[in-house]
Order: sequence, then C-alpha cells, then structure tokens
Amino acid sequence: MTKPAVFVENLTCSYAGKRALDGVSLTIPTGASFSLLGPNGAGKTTLINILCTLQGADSGIAMVAGVDVARHPTQARNSIGVVFQDSSLDDRLSAWENLEFHGLVYGMPARKRRQRIDAVLDLVELSDWRETVVRSFSGGMRRRLEIARALLHEPALLFLDEPTVGLDAQTRQRIWAYLDQLRRERDLTVFTTTHYIEEVEGSDQVCILDGGRIVAEGSPQSLKDEYARSWLHVVPLDAAARDTIAAAVPDCRELSHGRLAIPLAGADKVDAFLGQFGSLLAETRYEPPSLESVFLSLTGRELRDRMADRHAIEQAAGRRAGRR
Amino acid sequence: MSRILPLLRGVYGIWLREILRATRDRGQMIGGVSRPLVWLLIMGVGLNPYFRGEVFGEVRYVVPYTYLQFLFPAVIVLNIMYTSIQFAVSVIWDREFGFLREVLVSPMPRPLILLGKVLGGSTAATLHGAIVLILARFADVTLTPDQVVMALGAMFALSFGLTCFGVLLASRIRSFEGFGVFSNTIILPLYFTSSSIFPLDPALSRTQMAATYPEWLVFMVQINPITYAVDLLRGILINFNQFPPAYGPAVIAAMAIGFFLLALVDFGRSK
Amino acid sequence: MTWSRWRAGLVNIAAVSLLLVAVSFLPPDTSLRDVQRSGVLKVCVPPTFPPLVTGNATDPGFDVELVQHIADSLGLRLALNPLAAMGSDFNPRNWLLTRAQCDMIAGGLADTLQNRGFLQMLPTGVETGWVVVSRGGTLPAAGATVAVLPATSGFARVALSSWLRGRGWQVQRAANPAALLESVADDQASIGITERFLISTGDAAERGLSVAWLTEEGFARNQMALGLWKGDQTLWRAVNGVVDAMKADGSLEALRHRYGLSGGLDDAPEP
Repeated sequence: MTKPAVFVENLTCSYAGKRALDGVSLTIPTGASFSLLGPNGAGKTTLINILCTLQGADSGIAMVAGVDVARHPTQARNSIGVVFQDSSLDDRLSAWENLEFHGLVYGMPARKRRQRIDAVLDLVELSDWRETVVRSFSGGMRRRLEIARALLHEPALLFLDEPTVGLDAQTRQRIWAYLDQLRRERDLTVFTTTHYIEEVEGSDQVCILDGGRIVAEGSPQSLKDEYARSWLHVVPLDAAARDTIAAAVPDCRELSHGRLAIPLAGADKVDAFLGQFGSLLAETRYEPPSLESVFLSLTGRELRDRMADRHAIEQAAGRRAGRR
Repeated sequence: MSRILPLLRGVYGIWLREILRATRDRGQMIGGVSRPLVWLLIMGVGLNPYFRGEVFGEVRYVVPYTYLQFLFPAVIVLNIMYTSIQFAVSVIWDREFGFLREVLVSPMPRPLILLGKVLGGSTAATLHGAIVLILARFADVTLTPDQVVMALGAMFALSFGLTCFGVLLASRIRSFEGFGVFSNTIILPLYFTSSSIFPLDPALSRTQMAATYPEWLVFMVQINPITYAVDLLRGILINFNQFPPAYGPAVIAAMAIGFFLLALVDFGRSK
Repeated sequence: MTWSRWRAGLVNIAAVSLLLVAVSFLPPDTSLRDVQRSGVLKVCVPPTFPPLVTGNATDPGFDVELVQHIADSLGLRLALNPLAAMGSDFNPRNWLLTRAQCDMIAGGLADTLQNRGFLQMLPTGVETGWVVVSRGGTLPAAGATVAVLPATSGFARVALSSWLRGRGWQVQRAANPAALLESVADDQASIGITERFLISTGDAAERGLSVAWLTEEGFARNQMALGLWKGDQTLWRAVNGVVDAMKADGSLEALRHRYGLSGGLDDAPEP
C-alpha cells in the first residue's frame, strides 16, 4: 500500500495563548480530493501552514507524501505546490517571468522549465498574456496564474487555500476538471480549504474544522446521511413571536438577522409547526439536507453569512491589487 | 553536482528577479541619477568658489585635490547607501504581499534565499554606484581600467554589507511609512559624518590645523564605518587616503561578513 | 525571450547613462570663458629661474616657451608677470600670489603634495630634486662642512636639514649658486647640496665638479609643473589638452631637449 498523501496525528498549535489547532488527526489517501471546511478562524490556514512547512506545530506529527515536515522540510517542500489565500505573484514581472522564477527556484533544468511553462499557461488559458506584466491582470487571471505556478514543478500534493475567490464559474469548472484529470493520471492529491459549500460537494473527503478541532469527517454523502437534518428557516414577525417560538421549540438554533432554524425530524413536522406558529411568521424556507445543514447541526452556527463574506474577500483582493 | 546545480539555479532566479525589478523600477533609477547630479553638479559646483584658491596658501580647504574630485568617491558611496538600504523596502514588500511565502515553501534552503536576495540587491546597488563613474569626466577624475575594476570590487563588497544591513532593518520595521523616516535618519547622518564633504585630517597644512573640528565630531567621523568605505574609494579613485589604507578593506569586509551573519540569524527566525 | 526580459531594464540604464554622459560635458566653472573673454593668459614667473625662465629674449626658458605655446594654441595673448618674490624666497606661501596677478604659475614650481593643496598641478615632465655637487663624487664623513643652498620650488626643507644633522655635518649656507660652486671648488666645503635647477646654469663642469641626484630615503624627485588655481577646472582641461598634444607630437620632448632637460643625472654614490 502506498503512503497516505497527508498524515496528521494529534497536531496541536497555539499562539498568543489561543489554541489554533487542538489535537487534529487526519489521513488523506494519495490521489484524493480533500476539502477542509470551516469558518474563518477555525484553524484552516494554520493547518495548511504547518503542512507547507511555513510554521511549526507545538506537538503532534504532520507528514506530507510520507515525509515528516518538521524533520525534513526541504524534502517535503519538493512534493507540494501551494496556492495561497492572498496573491503571492510578483506583479512587476510578466506571467512568464513569474513562472520562470518558480521553475528556477525549484531547480528545474531549462528545457523542462520551458516545456512545463507552456503546458501550464495553456491549461489556465493565459498563453496570450505570457509577456504581460502581472500588475495589469484581473483577480481571476492572477488566481489562474497562481494555480499554473503551483502545478509547474509537478507536485504530488496541491494545497489550495481558498482557491476560487474571484473566479468565474467557467474557469472554476475547467480548473477542477483539469485537477481531476491529474488526480486520475498522476495520483495528484488536492487539498482545498474553503468555506464555500459548492466547492466541497464534488470532493472525495470532507473534513469540518471548528475552533481548532475536527468535528466531522467523511465523504460528502456520508456526512449528509449521518448528520444532516432538514431545517425550517423562519423569520418571526417580531421579537415577542421569536421568544414564543424559541420557548416552544427548545432545540431551535438562532441565526443572524433574528432568524430561527427549526430542526425537522420528518415532513409531517413541518405541517405541525406551521399549524402551531404560522401566524407568527413573516417568512419560511425549507432547507433540505446539505453540507451546510451538516455544519449547522454540528456547530450550531451557520457556516457564514455568504454574501457579506464574499464581498469582504473580494474587496480585500481589490485593495491589494490597487495598492501595488 | 546534481544537487548543487538546482540550488545555484534557485540563487540565480532570486538574483535575477531582484535585478529585473530594480532596473525596471523607473523611480529607483531616477533616484540613482538625481543624487549624483544634485551632489556633484549642484553642490560640488555651487560650493566650488568657496574651496578654490584665491591667494596661494590662503585656501581654507587643504586637500591635494579639487573639491569635485574629493566629493566624487563620496557620492558613489551615497548612491550605494541609498540603493542598498532601500533594498529593505523590497524585503518588506515581499513579506507584506505574500511573495516571500512563495519562496519559503520552495525547496531552497533559507540561507540561499537570503544570499540570492542580498546578491541581487548588492548588484543593483553596485550598478547605481557605477553609474556615478560616468561623471568622472565632469569631476576630472581620470580612471584607468585597473582603477575601475578595483573600484567596482570595493563597491560590490560595500553594497553587500549595506544590503545585509538593510535586511536587518527590514526585519525590525513593520511598515513602509516607518521605513521612510528611518532610512533618512540613518543614511544622511552616516553620509555627513563619513568625512564625505569635508576632510578630517588637520595635519595637511597650517591653515587647516588652525581650523580643527571639535572632538565630538571627529569622534563621530571616526566611529562611522562609512568613513572608511569613502576613504577606500578615495584611495582607489584619486589616490588619497586620510586613514591607513588597510582600514577601508578591513571595515568593509567586517561589515559584509558581520551583517550577513546577523541577517541570516534574523531571516531564519522570520516566518 | 531572453532579450525581451532585459529590454525594459536596459532601456532604463541606457537612458540614465546617456543623461549622465551628456551632463558630464557641462563646464563645471567659468575660468576658461573668463580668460577667453579677456583674451589674455596671465602667467606669474620668477624673474629668472634658469633654464625654465632665463630672462633672455632669444632663449626665454623652457617654461616660458611652453606657456607661450599654450597661449598661442588657445588663441590668447601671453602676459608674463615676473614676481621678485618668487625668485628670492623658497616658500611659495610667501610669494603672495593672487588670482588677480595670474591665471597660471610657471617657472620653478614642483609637483609636491604641499603645492597640490593649493594649486592644481600640470606636470611638464621635467624632474627636479636635491643634488649633490662634489669633486670626487663621494659623500664625506661626519664632521665635514657642507654648503647648502635651499631650493625655491617649495619642497620640504625640514627633511633635508634633519638628514644633514643626522650625518653630523657642519652646514654652511651658500648665498647663491655661484657661491656654492665656489666653496666646493675651493675646498671650503666637501660637497654642496642644492636643488637641480639652481646650479644648472653654473659652471660646475668647467670647475671639474660632478652633479648627481641625492638618492637618500625620503628625498623623492619631483616633476616640475605648471600651477593653476584650484577650481579652475575648465582652464586646466584646456591647458592639459595642449600639453597632451605636445606630448603626442613630440614637441614637448624637443623643447626639453633644447634646454638640456631631457637627460637625467646620475645617482650620487654612498660614502
């Protein structure tokens, strides 16, 4: 049997008195598509940093492609490609020069470098922009170029930290399709962190991280089967109505904007609930079992306030681009 | 060999990136020209009447060279100082905008990453110093190929030390704004107390003897390592040394080695 | 591909270099223009300092002919300004030369460090230094009497007097070159020590005396030079250009030869 692509055991890491990772254990088989799901501050970036050898852990074992990252960081680095959450391109250099730099730093010989640069530029459809200085690239083009760069040295394991921010649906699909092909052909393992549910549904293995702990792990379907319940999201008419409902349904969850989530055991429960409280509600919405509802069940919180979040991230990306 | 070659490629890549960035940065290039122009053309020519001879023996400023010749090597050092220390901006920049992480997850060992960066920075600084040599004609400094080669060597060694110093600064400074203030409070005082624009040696003539500088100023000049760098370049370019000629190479070598080791310690610590 | 990567940077470097080259052709001062405007090149000379300045109309002296050629080449009228002080005092400081009196100083100025502190020197390829006048060509033992005639060319006399004391010789001050030769020829002094040009016109050979360089440590020979005021860079360049041309076409050597200045002297032997 081949070694797992990632092996983490009892990993603990804290800084400034706060525990970022608390006894995390995790195994990802080679060739898998793995998604790490969790809200901001759950410890996703800390875990990636440790696996990428940028940061040390307090205790526990972290291995990448069978190599202990703490003991043999250089060896581990050779087998990983990383796309960071924030752009790490040099925007005074052209697309081609950024890739050339990467190839040189990874010690690739000239001919192979040229060949691979052409291949990855083709993949992300940036061949026409190879001589263009990165400064003039849009956010989506930068992302694509970064993914191309991370694949340049043919890593066994690809880390994507919040990879698809700012990408249009078409590009996203294309990149996933290519990554899937690489997984099949070369046993590439893809490690993604995200807080977008859509990203996760297609992966082989999902891990939900919250407060530095793994709260659930498995394939998307098994997680749904195990943890997902149907929920009824309701908007009460006023605060008094809300209190009444909360008192009557003790296992309801409070959501943002004064909404409540009512757990439903079966379809008949909906009718019973609406019959009882229908007059107190301004709006109701039925939520079928999904990973989002898995997350809600496990943590008692929504994964995120979707629109506000996306807006904030894109704003930050824009500011970065502007400041350069 | 098969192990060393990829590492050399990496050092070359990092060096290349620094050079490309430095030469493409118009602002930096303009700074590299405006400083020698301001110092040699404006200041050197402007102050020339105050240092020229009116009555034999009545010169206030007794060095066996003209003021422009005296100033010329110091302007080279000034240009190198600015470029080297402002190289720290590029280090802060890389850190702020994440590029550093791209290099840190690569298989390049940390010391070689630092070496590549410092070599790139010092090449750029040497280039800026070499630009000043074009003005040798204007300052009436005659240059032989030997002198140029020796001067370039000294300039590179000085650039190396100062670039490492810049990296040390960068690891202690968190913001660009803070760096601007800091660099000016470091570069200009170091420049002015390096005996760059006035000679220190009071023994050249009786007139000069009557006008010795206060001890505190002499002390500041003597403890300033840049003094010896300027002195070394003066020795090479106009054959004039105020201090024993061995001091210059010794101080520059000590700076290059010392600051590189310190920078290495700092860089290894940075995440 | 490789070329395009460097293009932006090289364009910047080329632009900057071109600018500096252009700037280096700017005149750093107005000295040449001032002289050209007045049409006169004023040169201070001693009344006589053979063979550099003789005072004859037919053979006016090496330096005089040289500056005449320079003035002609620059399209200027030569105005010689003989200063009595230059002939009578050995210390250039006491000549009280000012810019108002002359643009250039010729006739008996040595290219010494001390003089370079006040003037910009333009060596003419004529050597001078301390010479030993003797009958047998040997240095005498301690206790002997030595006739000394100090030089006017402004080089260190302190070293000479301490060397003389160190040898344990009685020093007898000679009033003029003739007196020096006289006292050696008449055996009043074992040897005479003076500066080369002071006795170059004397009848040393007729008196059977030999003249040789003093080769002791610390008595370097100096080039004779034309002196220009410090800070008169443009005039210096123009004059230097003429002298270089004379060196190149051999006319400078011819002039030296005509005044018997091309050949050297022998070194004085050790006792």
